[in-house]
Amino acid sequence: MFQFLKDPHFDFMGKRGVLLPASLVLVLVSVVVLAVNGMNMGIEFTGGTEMQVKYAETPDVAEIRSTLNAAGFGNPLVTTIGDPSDNEVYIRLASRGEGGDETETEESSDDPTIVVLNALRGLTSVPGRRSSDLNIEDEASLAILLGRAPGAGAAQAQALAAAILEARREGVIFGTFEDLSSIEGMTPELQTYLEDNATIGPLALRSQSYIGPAVGRELVEKAIVAIIGSLIGMLLYIWYRFKLQWGFAAVAALTHDTLVTLALFSLFNQELSLPVVAAFLTLVGYSVNDTVVVFDRIRENLASYRGKDLSDTVNMSINQTLSRTIITSGLTWVVVLSLFLFGGAALRPFSFVLTIGVLVGTYSSIYVASPIVVIWQSYLDKRKQRPSSSKGATERRAKKIRRSSAG
Amino acid sequence: MSKNPLVLKFGLILVIVALSAFFFYPPEEKINLGLDLKGGAHILMQVETDAAIKFEMDRVQNRLGQAFKADGLAYDAILPTSTGTVEIRGTNSGQVGEIRAKLELLVRDWDRIDLGEGSWRINMPAPYRAQVEIEAVDTTLATIRKRIDNLGVSDPLIQKSGIDGKRILVQLPGVEDPARIKDILKDPAVLEWKEVSYPPGADPNVWGRFPTKEAAIAQFGEQLPDDTELFLEREEQPDGSVQEFWWPLKRVSTVAGRDLRDASRGLDEWGEPTVRFELTQEAGRRFEVATRENIGRRMAIVLGGSKSKEVISAPVIRSEIRDSGEISGGGFTIQTADDLALKLRSGAIPTDVTILEERTVGPSLGRDSIRSGLTAGFAGFLGVMIFMLIYYRLSGVNAAIALALNILLVFGALGALPFLFGAAGIRATLTLPGIAGLILVIGMAVDSNVLIFERIREELRLGKTVHSAVEQGFGKAFMTILDCNVTTVVAAIFLIVYGTGPVRGFAVTLVIGLVASMFTAVFVSRQLFELVLLRIRRDQTLSI
Repeated sequence: MFQFLKDPHFDFMGKRGVLLPASLVLVLVSVVVLAVNGMNMGIEFTGGTEMQVKYAETPDVAEIRSTLNAAGFGNPLVTTIGDPSDNEVYIRLASRGEGGDETETEESSDDPTIVVLNALRGLTSVPGRRSSDLNIEDEASLAILLGRAPGAGAAQAQALAAAILEARREGVIFGTFEDLSSIEGMTPELQTYLEDNATIGPLALRSQSYIGPAVGRELVEKAIVAIIGSLIGMLLYIWYRFKLQWGFAAVAALTHDTLVTLALFSLFNQELSLPVVAAFLTLVGYSVNDTVVVFDRIRENLASYRGKDLSDTVNMSINQTLSRTIITSGLTWVVVLSLFLFGGAALRPFSFVLTIGVLVGTYSSIYVASPIVVIWQSYLDKRKQRPSSSKGATERRAKKIRRSSAG
Repeated sequence: MSKNPLVLKFGLILVIVALSAFFFYPPEEKINLGLDLKGGAHILMQVETDAAIKFEMDRVQNRLGQAFKADGLAYDAILPTSTGTVEIRGTNSGQVGEIRAKLELLVRDWDRIDLGEGSWRINMPAPYRAQVEIEAVDTTLATIRKRIDNLGVSDPLIQKSGIDGKRILVQLPGVEDPARIKDILKDPAVLEWKEVSYPPGADPNVWGRFPTKEAAIAQFGEQLPDDTELFLEREEQPDGSVQEFWWPLKRVSTVAGRDLRDASRGLDEWGEPTVRFELTQEAGRRFEVATRENIGRRMAIVLGGSKSKEVISAPVIRSEIRDSGEISGGGFTIQTADDLALKLRSGAIPTDVTILEERTVGPSLGRDSIRSGLTAGFAGFLGVMIFMLIYYRLSGVNAAIALALNILLVFGALGALPFLFGAAGIRATLTLPGIAGLILVIGMAVDSNVLIFERIREELRLGKTVHSAVEQGFGKAFMTILDCNVTTVVAAIFLIVYGTGPVRGFAVTLVIGLVASMFTAVFVSRQLFELVLLRIRRDQTLSI
């Protein structure tokens, strides 16, 4: 058998005097980082509008910003995203009523996304005036438009519309009408018809989101409830399987994991959104997971090796599960890393949490949860005025644990 | 262990595999892709029932006015004084009896109060109000459904939402131009004809619109009379710019939304698109009277909900119009005329609709997301498999088979959920976070295998026989596997309950994946081991 660690005997608990306080310092540093650096909140929580548009040619960010200012948006966030060759621009507007985004009408019902798109394409927004933009129009409307061309059958129109959309799905942005000639099913007559009856705008829409203030508030509430509920669920579960004190040790470990990951998240300026909250909850589940495996072994060994010192027992348990811990953490980390590297920009904040979290979670089971168990138990034993390494005390504790786990 | 049970167990595995494959193949049809992978629009709307109340009040005002005039009951004005309340002022005290009878006839369900001095108050009682609100939401929902049907969107989702039932959720795959969709969904498309308001003594043939609000008000003196309101018209000039005008119009409409029976696009004598409409019989009669009285003058056609009414056209009435007519000169393009006809045909929305949330994913982003997800999944699977094969040798193959089966089961479950729970409206949708969840499951499922294999190795090291080691390995590890999965499932359940679309998809995939992994890592792997054990002679060792 090929094995990484043949019978390891590391003295983990011996180093706990140094590493447990170090972990505490790490937690405090994380809290400071969070307080100072703050958190980049996604629009799901703040409300507002965000859009991702892709230009045919290299976009001029400053020009875009001034166009938006002229359209009545006081302080838009405009940045390029992705590779420079992508020509993609990310726009974020504050929630309505902030950032000075309306002009003379006391309550404009104009949708900010429509105003922005029209402004960027150089159109005025007047009801009753809209032309088909081949880079934006959807398939059904294109089919109708093409169906009105002289000599075009309905089936032909549908097929051509589908082909145009398929090209756009592959990332094509039309620059001139000539670009259409390579589309399957395009004829010179239809191309001429489109030249007369449609336009080609300078950009395509990748995505847009608008979250109203009411919904924003609800999402924040839901997220908080989900988090608190999960934590309570975890605690109850560990209490049921082990002892309550061990439950607190596990909670300490996962708090440590969450805060450290959150601090790094903030430092790297990642955006907090609902999927990220989901990632944190998954991380919590994973961290508790890992801790449970070690606790399981500790409990098993406490029952089998009654004579041993608690610290030694814990050490032995960790060593026994070390091989398994490294492999599973390693494998999970491989999987999460491939999400981070290949999963695309949309998932990056999500996979960032897990990539950091898996590493921190593994560490915390060894150097946060286990030492706390040792210290707490020793403290409890000292209070009962019995030395923690006496045979009798360990035996009594083992009996208690066996009784509670047999239930 | 005799062979027969093993055959049965493999039989069971094959049945499950076949079922999964059936439910998930072909993937394009069976797996419902979320909007973030397919491209499309997700729109959550709030039905503003206050506007419905106001609309109802307008209607009542209108009917009272016409009925009073018809019966020769004098009055100075009929106005709204607050939401749900209308007052009639300046009636003739000699006609009290007739007025009371008329009110009883027209607005029986309402509170009718004689304020004295010729004033009456009509009030909408609470249950009536609640009824109006419910009807408003239902009508809006029905109208939106009709409009979406007319658009030819495939597989749309339209349903009531929110605790108070006043929200409507719409999901439209393949709709990547949200501007037009939102317009079609939101536009109340309440079409009204209003008479132009002239100050006494003014020449009705004079152009009745003004460049500013102040100029319009100046015509009437200090302020507008009670029955008049200013409406905006935005007219596109030949050079492409937009000029604004203000029309003083009678607040109460002659003919309005509910009175339309049909609408379609037409062409006028210059080849410009128009919108043709047909009125109901009862409205037709009223319109005939109104147009007869207004021959030679302009009547304004106003479109919009309570917050956004605009004049789209104000033609001069040449002759009586009874029940069908045409709106021209509104600056229509073929598309906007089509859209307006569609909206009018599907019925007016009797209230205002605000958009609470909108998420649209364009076609290219959806495609990119699928690609990234699959690449990441493939890379992850490959990485894990290579390790398992190197570290656990032939037993790694065991793990590989279990993992592949695991993924198949998840897809099968995603395809099967609509069948099992379709009635409850549960759709299993694969979203981008869902793909991420599946990738996570790959990592976590292998964990279970590792747990078991490590135990088996430990037992072998302690000198147990191969058979005994395998049995002990699976036996002891099972509880731990259960423990591990339970914590993640607990977190996932909270996410399912409190999460929204994509997050819920993630949690559902996670739960399904973990449950399936319990089956594949424990049952399927075990049977594969048994298969291997059958062929092992006493002196051979297990390749693990």
